Amino acid sequence: MQSREQIFEQLKAMLVDLFETDPSKIVPNARLREDLDIDSIDAIDLLLELKKKTGRKLPPDAFKSVRTVDDVVNAVYSLLSS
Amino acid sequence: MIFSLRRGIDHAWRLLGTGLGFACFGIGGVVISLTLFPAIRLLSPDPKVCQRRIQRAMSGVMRLFIDLIRMLGVISLEVHGAERLKTPGQLVVANHPSLIDVVLLVSLMPQVDCVVKRSLWRNPFLRWPVSWAGYIPNTDPESLIETCAASLREGRSLLIFPEGTRSVPGAALNLKRGAAQIALAANRPIRPVRIQVEPLMLGKGVPWYRLPPSPGHFRLEVGEIIQPDEFLRAAGASSLAARHLTRHFETCFSNPAPSVPAV
Repeated sequence: MQSREQIFEQLKAMLVDLFETDPSKIVPNARLREDLDIDSIDAIDLLLELKKKTGRKLPPDAFKSVRTVDDVVNAVYSLLSS
Repeated sequence: MIFSLRRGIDHAWRLLGTGLGFACFGIGGVVISLTLFPAIRLLSPDPKVCQRRIQRAMSGVMRLFIDLIRMLGVISLEVHGAERLKTPGQLVVANHPSLIDVVLLVSLMPQVDCVVKRSLWRNPFLRWPVSWAGYIPNTDPESLIETCAASLREGRSLLIFPEGTRSVPGAALNLKRGAAQIALAANRPIRPVRIQVEPLMLGKGVPWYRLPPSPGHFRLEVGEIIQPDEFLRAAGASSLAARHLTRHFETCFSNPAPSVPAV
């Protein structure tokens, strides 16, 4: 079972690889769209990548309300612990 | 004294010409929407044939309008590489300094799909022409990108302003990645066009009647083809390629293209 910190670190690496996001901007309360310039097409790529990494399909509904980096971490955490 | 009088007359003339241009565009648009376009529609039962004919007619009407405002001395125009715009199946991307950029580009392209505000499908005069022309309503990003990519895959050309709206005068360009995402999804060539207006007229936040001291000179430079798959190969992931392509567009819009003689 992964801790929230481990998920955060993996997500951070993913954002850097997929979107060339500046690592210093990736903090828990950073907003994906406004602060990290991740658009809706990027979000689809991110979901695919998360699915690949976790081996589980993230329900799109759980991602509807996702706004910040921390929201993603929580969504993945609760998915993995369910 | 005589100099300033002459300038006053010149300004008044261009103000009249600009107003006349807008009136012709508005009234002419309604008249054509009620006559020429329905006639083409009636004579073209096949929707694909109808789209082709309406787009060709649209291009001709826009060219007439551009000729009119050039004749009135409201603008002057210089186009480099116009024949490059006629290649079918390419995504044409341009910066968007003025209100008439789309009119200029459509006038130079006998076939081009455009993305149009969804609200136009509720406009009593324009809803039929835009749908007969096969123009694409701006729906949610995912389905819009798919619809646009499908149009390119069918071998049609498509016009997108990556800024999504007119440029803010004096500010850095703010490009969205949608155009790059469409080109990557369709894997079709991109044709960049750089538009310069000097002095600026009909820019964002500038009322039409606030005219520059001399007629706006529009200079269009049609650049070399950009192949999206080269960016995809180099980047590995399409999310990265879309970013690199979009930055490349910005370079194309900001720097002069290798010179092509004007026509």
